This record gives sequence, C-alpha cells and structure tokens, in this order.
Amino acid sequence: MATLSTVGLLLLLLAVVGLATALLGLRHRLSFRIAMRNVRRGRARTVLLIAGLLVGTTIVAGSLIVGDTVQQLSFHYTYIGAGYVDESVTGTSPTGGLSYFPYAAYTQTAALVAGDPDIAGVTPEIVDSGAIYDRATGIPATALNLIGVNANQSSALGPFLADNGTPLEGPSGSGVFLDDQAAQTVNATVGDPLLVFGQVGIPLHVEAIVQENVRGGFITGGLTPGNVFVSLATAQLLENASGRINYLAVTNSGSNAHGAAISTRVSASLNVTLASVLATYGLSVATPLETGLEQSAQSSQSTMTVFLVLGLFSIVAGALLIVGIFVMLAEERKGEMGMLRAIGMRRRELVYTYYFEGVAYAAGSALAGTGLGVGVGYLLVYLAGSVLKGEGIPEAAILQSFTVTGQSLLLAYVIGFLLTVATVVFACTRVSRLNIVRAIRDVPEPRPAVRTYTVLAYLGGALVVLGLLAFRATYSGASDISYPILSGALVVLGAGLVAARFLRNRPVFTAVGIGLTVWAGWVPLHALLLGSAHTGGIFIVFVEGILMVGGTLMVFLFNAPLLATLLRRVLGRRGQSSPVIRVGLDYPTRQPTRSAVSLTIFALVVFTMVATAAFGSTIQGNLDNVVANEAGGYTYFGASQTPIPDLWGSIESNATLAPEFVNAAELVVGAGEVTVPGYDANPYSDRLLAAPVNTTGPADFYTTNRFTFASTLGDLSAAAVFEELSTNATVAIVDNTYAPPTASIVGGSTGPHPHLVVGTTISVAPVSGGRAVNVTVIGILKEAALTGVWLNPATAAGLGFTTVGAYLITAAPGVSTTLASQNLLKAYFAFGLVLFNIKALLATSFNTTEGFIGLLEIFVGLGLAVGIAAMGILALRAVVERRRQIGMLRAAGFTQAMVVRAYLLEYSVVTLLGVAIGVVLGVLIVYNLTVSASAAAEGITTFVGPWTTIAEIAVVAYVLVLAAIAVPSVRAARLPPAEAVRSAE
Amino acid sequence: MPEPVVVGRDVWKVYGSGETAVPALRGIDVEIFRGEILAVMGPSGCGKTTFLNCFSGLDDISKGVVTVEGTDIHKMPDARKSEYRARRTGFVFQSYNLLPILSAEENVEMPLLIAGRSAREAREAAKAILTQMGLGDRLRHRPSELSGGQQQRVSLARALVAHPAIVWADEPTGNLDAEGSKQVTELLRQLNHEFHQTMVVVTHDAEVASACDRTLHMRDGRFLTE
Repeated sequence: MATLSTVGLLLLLLAVVGLATALLGLRHRLSFRIAMRNVRRGRARTVLLIAGLLVGTTIVAGSLIVGDTVQQLSFHYTYIGAGYVDESVTGTSPTGGLSYFPYAAYTQTAALVAGDPDIAGVTPEIVDSGAIYDRATGIPATALNLIGVNANQSSALGPFLADNGTPLEGPSGSGVFLDDQAAQTVNATVGDPLLVFGQVGIPLHVEAIVQENVRGGFITGGLTPGNVFVSLATAQLLENASGRINYLAVTNSGSNAHGAAISTRVSASLNVTLASVLATYGLSVATPLETGLEQSAQSSQSTMTVFLVLGLFSIVAGALLIVGIFVMLAEERKGEMGMLRAIGMRRRELVYTYYFEGVAYAAGSALAGTGLGVGVGYLLVYLAGSVLKGEGIPEAAILQSFTVTGQSLLLAYVIGFLLTVATVVFACTRVSRLNIVRAIRDVPEPRPAVRTYTVLAYLGGALVVLGLLAFRATYSGASDISYPILSGALVVLGAGLVAARFLRNRPVFTAVGIGLTVWAGWVPLHALLLGSAHTGGIFIVFVEGILMVGGTLMVFLFNAPLLATLLRRVLGRRGQSSPVIRVGLDYPTRQPTRSAVSLTIFALVVFTMVATAAFGSTIQGNLDNVVANEAGGYTYFGASQTPIPDLWGSIESNATLAPEFVNAAELVVGAGEVTVPGYDANPYSDRLLAAPVNTTGPADFYTTNRFTFASTLGDLSAAAVFEELSTNATVAIVDNTYAPPTASIVGGSTGPHPHLVVGTTISVAPVSGGRAVNVTVIGILKEAALTGVWLNPATAAGLGFTTVGAYLITAAPGVSTTLASQNLLKAYFAFGLVLFNIKALLATSFNTTEGFIGLLEIFVGLGLAVGIAAMGILALRAVVERRRQIGMLRAAGFTQAMVVRAYLLEYSVVTLLGVAIGVVLGVLIVYNLTVSASAAAEGITTFVGPWTTIAEIAVVAYVLVLAAIAVPSVRAARLPPAEAVRSAE
Repeated sequence: MPEPVVVGRDVWKVYGSGETAVPALRGIDVEIFRGEILAVMGPSGCGKTTFLNCFSGLDDISKGVVTVEGTDIHKMPDARKSEYRARRTGFVFQSYNLLPILSAEENVEMPLLIAGRSAREAREAAKAILTQMGLGDRLRHRPSELSGGQQQRVSLARALVAHPAIVWADEPTGNLDAEGSKQVTELLRQLNHEFHQTMVVVTHDAEVASACDRTLHMRDGRFLTE
C-alpha cells in the first residue's frame, strides 16, 4: 500500500537504529551483557513485557492488512467490471450515453492494429441499457446492461462460464445469456421465454445462465441489476442500430495485470494509430481497467487511512503502556541501578543498559505484534464478510480477497519496532535522571528546582511563538482545520509552561487542561475564530480527541486529591470500609502520575469506541432527514427510454396505480458541460435538469418537491428559489457536490469537482457542442444524490433539451414501495421505464456505512485489549512494588478480603473515571459533528446517542478490568505478611 | 506472680522441606508477662525475627503451640487473626513501613480505622499521640518529608495508638543513629510506663536491651539464658 520510498525510508531508519545499537553494544559490552541478563531474568516477566509492547505493532499490521484486503477486493471487482477490456474506443451521444457509429469503424480499427504485439484483439460490441420480461415467471426487470457481442469475434474477451463451470462461447441469434444477478432478479431458469427490450422488444429465450467471472460480469462488476448478453445482430435489432455499434473493446496481450500495466502505452499508441478513425467517427480512447484500478487503489487507501487514524488512539495507548511498563521497571530496579552507579558505572552506560534491554523487547514484540496483526486482520475481514454479505458483496469474495503483502508485514514490523524503540528512548531519559543516593535508599524524587521551571518557561515561550506563527499562517483560508487547532493548542500549552515559572502548578495546569479541552471541543469557538472555510478529514478526530483527552487528564492530574476528598465523602467514612476506601482512593489520587497512564489509556480507548458507535447511531438516526434532503420528499427517481405522455394524468386514470401514488413530476434531462470560474479542469461534465412549467397540481415539480438548500442567494426561502427558477431563464441551482468542502468528515464531495458559492455565474453548454449559456447560481441544494445543474426549462430548451425523460414520483403513505414500483413498471414497461427507490438506495448505502462502522467499532475495540492489558500489567507490578506496604497493612489488621477490596476500589476508580471521560468526550466530538454546517447539509442535524452500546462498552470494560486485576489482587492478599514486611521482592 | 500473656510450647519453624529444610526455631518454650518489656538478642540469622513473626501471628509455625491471652493464635482463621492483630497488637519495623501516600497523621489513624473506630475519633487519637511524641508540627507531612527518627516515631505511634495488649518491635532502632536510637528507646519505656503494654523488642543493640525489663538471648533457633 505504501510507496516504495516510504518503505525505503523506514528500512533505512531500521538499518540506522540497528547499526547504531550494534556499535553501542560493541562499545559498551558490560551494559549490553547486563541488559541481556535482564531480558533472560524471568521468562514470565519477559512474556508480560512483550505482550504489553506488541499492541502498537498489532494495530498497524491489522490496519495495513485491512487496506491490502480492501484493495484486493476492489481490484477483484474492477477486473470483473472491465473484463478483458483494457482500452475502449467510444463516442458520446448528446444525451450523455454512448453514441452509435458504423460497423466499418471496427474493420478499419482491426486492420490498423493488426500485428501490434501489445494488442490481443479488438471486439465490436453494443453496450446499452435494456429490460427483460420473463414470460415463465411473469417478473420484469429494468435498468439492465444489454451487451451485444458475437461469439466468433470475442475470443480475446475469454469464455463465459456456465454455473456448472462449462465454458461457453456466446449467445446464438435467438438466445440470451443472463448473468446470475439478472437471472435472480426475474427468477429465470434456462429455457424460459423472454421478452427483451432495447428501443424495441424481441421474443428470445434463456440459453444459459452464466457466472459473474471476468466475462460474465462484463462492464458492471456485478454491482448493477445485472447483464443480458445477446448476439451483436440481435442487439442491433433491439436498439434499432442496423449496421452500427457503439463500443470497440481492445484487449491487451498477456494477463489481466499485464494488460493494465501497459494500458497507458497502448492507449497513447492507439491515439496515433487510430487518429483517422477517431476523427472520422468522433471517437476517443479510454483506459477503463487502468482507471478502475487506480480508483480502487485510492479508495482502499482511504479505507486504510480511516482504520489507521482510528487505530492511532490505540497506538498512543500502547505507547503509554510501554512508558508505564518501563518506568515501573526502572522503579523496581532503582536499588540495583543505584548500586551499579555507586560502584562506578557511568550514567550513560546505565541508560545504554536500559536501552539495549528495550531494543531486545522491541525486536521481539514487533515480530509477535506483526504476527498477531495478521490474525487481527483476518478477523476483521472475516467479520466484514458477515457484515457485508447482505449488501451485494458475496462473503466468499471477501474472504478470498484476504491479502497479506510482504510489504505490509515489513512496514508493520518496522513501524512497530521504531515506535517501541522511540518510546524506550523516552523512558530512558527518565532513568538517566536517577540520583545514586536516592535510588539506593528508595527516597522519592524531590520536586523540580526553580531552574527546571525556568528552562520549561523558555520552552513554553518558544512554543507560544511557534504556535502563534503557525496559527497566523493557518487560521483563515481553506487549509486543514487540524493545523490552526494544533497551533492554538501549542499557544495554550506554552503559556502554561511560562506561567508555571511564576505561579503554582495546580491552578496553572488546571487552566491549561480546561483550555485545551475547550479549545479542541467547542465548535462555536472554532466557527468564531477560524470561520467555516477550512477543510478537514478523519485526522481532525484524532487531533481533537487527543487534545480533549489530554486536557481532561491534566485537570485530573492536578486536582486528584480534591477528587479523593469528594469520593471519600460520597463513599462514606465510617465502619470497616473506611481504611479500605482510604487506601483504595489514595493510591490513584495521591500518586496520580502513574494512575494517569492507566487513566489516559482507558479514556482514549473508550473515547474511540464511543465516538465510533455514536457516529454510527447518529447517521442511522438521521436517515429520514437525509432521505428528505436527498430525495426532495420523492420516493422514486425514474427514467424512460421513450417519454411517457402526461405521466401523472395516466397514473390518475389507472385504477390500480391511482391509490398508490400521490404525485409524479416530469423532468427534462441532458448531458452538459459546466464551466465554473476558478476550476482548473473546466469544463466539468454533468447532468442538466429542468422541470416543465406548464404542469399543475401533483404533476408540478415546483410545488411538490421538498428539496432544501444548503445556501441561497440573499437567504431566499426554498419556495422563493424554485419560484425564481421557474420564471427566470438566467438563474440555476446546483446539487451539494458543488458546495465548498468543509471541516467535517461528514459530507463534501470526493475527487476533483468544481466548487462555488451562491451568486457565482457559471456557463452551461450541451456536451454535443453548441451555444453556451451563462446562468447565476441562486441556490446550492443539500442533496448530493441527484447530481446536476437545475435550469429554467426555457434555458434547457435553448440548449436543445426539450424531451421529458425522467420523473420524480412519490408513493402514497402506507403503501408497499416495492409493490407500487412493480405495478408502475408493469404499466409502463413498454416505455422502458426504470425506477430507483431513492430511500431504499440511501438505506442500503447507510447499511453499508453502518456495516463499515461496525467493523471500525470492532477494530477500535481492540484498543480495549490495550486498556485491559495495561490495568493487568500495572496491577501486577504494583503488587511487587507495594509488597512491604501490603505487609504492613496486613500486620495492622487488614484482612485478605480488605486487601482485595482496596485493590478493586483503586482500579475501579481509574477504570470508571477513564470510562466517564471517554464517554463524555466521545459523545461530545460526535455532537460537534452534528452541529457542523456540512453535517447539516447532509441532513445530519440530530445527535442520536448509542446509549445501550455505551452502557455495554462501560459494563464490558469494567468487568474485563475486574477480571484482569483479580489475579494481582488475590496475589496481593495472599502475600505472607511476615515476608512482605521485610523485603521489597 | 505476673500473668503470662504469651506462652509458647515446643515451637518449631522450619523453612523449606526435605534435604533443604532449615529449622529457624527449634522447640522454643517461652512465657512473656503482661506489662513487661522483653528484649530478644542474638547474632544475625539466629531466628529473632522468625520468633517475632511466629509469636505475633504474622507467620505460621511448623509445630507447637502459641497462645496469646489464652487463645491459640495459630488455630485462628485468617480473618480472625487479622482482627486480633488489629485490636490486640501493634508492630514496629526496622524500616518503618509507613504508607508513603499517607501523611504521618493518616498513617497513625490507620489501625483505629481498621478496628472500626470513627474517622473523627481516629483523627483525634492520632493527633494526640503524635503530639505526645513531639511530632505535633509534622502531622500533615508525608513519610518522605520526615527524618528516619521521625518516621520511626510515627511508626511507634501507629503501633501504640489503638492501645494494643502487645507491641512487637523488630529492630526498631536498626536504621537510626545513636541520638535517634536513644530517643526511641526512651519513648518505648515511657509509653510502657504510661500504658502498661507488653513489649517484645528484637534488637542487636545492647543499650536498647539494657533499657528493657528482661533479655532473652537466642542462638540457632533456641533461647540460651534468661
């Protein structure tokens, strides 16, 4: 997935670290020897350490493998979709479809490319839309791909495969091959009599049902209602295109992958070789396979990025766990390290000892983490198979696409190793400050001297300056909103460091914590200071999440005793529970630094889980709003091959249909080119739409539609905008894909697209050429499903678009939209009516999104393992560290049960506090999304809390923590008091 | 005749088993009387601390009987043994073993809270005894903010605050300089005089032993003379 340069850079870094470590090891052999002895000191301890350290690598490896698999799956469908068509030679009709051209273009092309070693063959075809009616089952199907191709001319495209695996050449003149999907739609079996419709209808029969292999899934990749294959001659009859074709499929030599690899070269060569053919018939060469693969790679890269960014929280949690483990190790070995210093070991050598040990653990844990990541990746893919099988993607295809590339494994190992080493180096800096006497006598470190605060104040000053400069450069304009937010955070943090030189830590850092949380989490403040022009992606969730959790934790760190007092009051002070409460509360609140590590880990993990769940529930909960926005209140979008005269009048007079529908508006649709000022790839090809004005009542688009606007010129109401559009030939409205991208992960268009604001004058022209017309955009719709530019019907007529070809229809409340659509299709089958249930399509899309979010929930749930591991490991080490104190408590009369209760209380406080912080901030960040302008544009206006899921997360997390600390607690309780009071270990 | 509070009969403590078995106590018979301060002396490894642990109930014995105030402490279940320790005994250790997260006052309150006394009572009693020991201005200090002598006085206050019947002290002056050692010894005597508690002091220090009512010498897990 990553570019070679990234891998190369990481490998170089790995080599540098490895070489430097080896050289240091040779130079400081004693340190190296001691380090290796420490590694071998206790197998259980080493296993525990590696288990704690491997988390980061596991997350990275899992994310990369998910990316690999999504790419593989995407490639799989791209290959099916394109088949063995590497280049296509086609023209565009005035309505935006494929234009028909004389069959002679094929013979000329075949002659010109004959002998080209890169080209295996050229196939003449007709590729259009069609419909079928199975006379045996009585079921119709529309919006199918009708593909006409001669068996004896298409060997380069490979054979069809019957369901039993038999290769088939192609349909005869009287037969039809249906692919699995089309056959399923009409419940067809081989031999069924069929009526097949293109421009006209012809009776044929089902000759074979074929698999959706690269040939059977031709063009659509199985993602549209299905394919109908007929002979070229039959297709010409169906489309009234005698002697004409509309598609030349060029197949490159070699494998599919090789064909795609040489596609750029071949298409360049075709443009030269076929210059005269292209010019004569108005054709152009495209590279569908190569383009499809590029798009697949891009989309899988996006998927991987989402997983990686959300995985970052777990990675940070894992890194904190590493720091926690190493600091505890240092604490535990303080005495012996002090002795080593006392007998002459230099500070530097002591640090190296620690470093070598850390590198050994890093090497082992990165290896184990990579292996575990493969397992995690497979688990996710397996779950994806179950989740997505209802969305048209077969489970087997997903499982077969499970891919682990060597590059990803290498990348995961190197990233995991370097991440662990970097954390170890950070932990070593703490060890390097060890004071010999304090270490030997186990005396706590004193408070930092004034000089330390002075140095920190200078650092703070530098941060303020840096933050201000960065803020100044990024606060306005359309840059990623993460930059000004990070810049502002630097200013707040820097100011805190400066203030701490002169004021007490507690008020200063409490203010800094609150400042960071508010700055990252209060959207109105962003709107006020940063405006709404910024862009943003999933990374902003990470930035805001880390800042909010960090800020809240800072408040906890500096106010923990206050919390202890409060909790003590709540939990009571009397009875035998009093000493348990004191011990259980005072450890996390009076030594808050260490508790803060566990707390941060837990808060981050729960934050990610809650935010992901809340995002999913909010999207699902706003489905009705989104449908209203996207569909304008209509149920179906329809298109017919031939215009249906007075559709609403016809429905009204039909006894079956009349009660099932409440309106039907007609639309004129054409293919156009749009020129937007400032867009660097003008003209942009888009649909041009216009609604006739000579209609009334339920047939009148202008009064029946419920489309809403993201913005309008002069803040006009929606009704006023449509009134203006119906009367003014110089205005237009556009769909939401034209809206400027905003700082939210919701909404906005992906890929190159012109953007504009209301009031912009754009130029529209028919794609077939002709006069361009300037119109002023007076409204940007909230919808982005029915893309295009809406014109006054007179303007559309001036561009040559007068024929009604599309419809917006609303089903009556309470009727089955499936039955109603079947009745409508039957009634207007002869017109080639095709219906799309907009709500169902959106719901399917939402279900897929929900499935994806479900996967993300599972993925981020892996972070919970980090939290549980953190609690277990830290609790286990705490037993060792507090041996004497436990002994003293037992000597003073603590029962075993009291020791267990004190432990449970201590870790309950940390866990529940972490859960509370994670839940509040996770809910807040999604709530913030729902109040953003772009989310509102998508119809997501209401926050819907996944309260049951949140309760489940909290309960599961708490129960798992209790389970994880059960062993350490019991171990602590069972310490023989006589031994415990005498020795540290 | 003073009443014996602690009675040990043929008490054995063996660490390990089989060929590696090491007997630390070898059939000890001893009586400790109410209100006395008993010193236990002997070379390193002779079994002094094992004696203290086994007779105080911190550790189990391998054979024999130890009765405290007429009850066989080694037949008590763990919960009762804990309760007995909370209500009837106090401990002073060489390394103080104070809870580092608690202040001096809170450390001293702990036995009272464990014994079920109210927080206010515990606070008042802790304050009183610490003031009596000259630490009235160190109530809110954490152990890391106190000197070794001060920490041991806090430890002593913690052992005595619940007015236990018996105080077990393991090398209470072991970590202190001469002055600190003298102060602690005088304090032990003074408190014994004031509260009439039985005190068993394991020590290396002849001066500490000389301040006690009676001294038992140990060697190889047995008492030699009285």
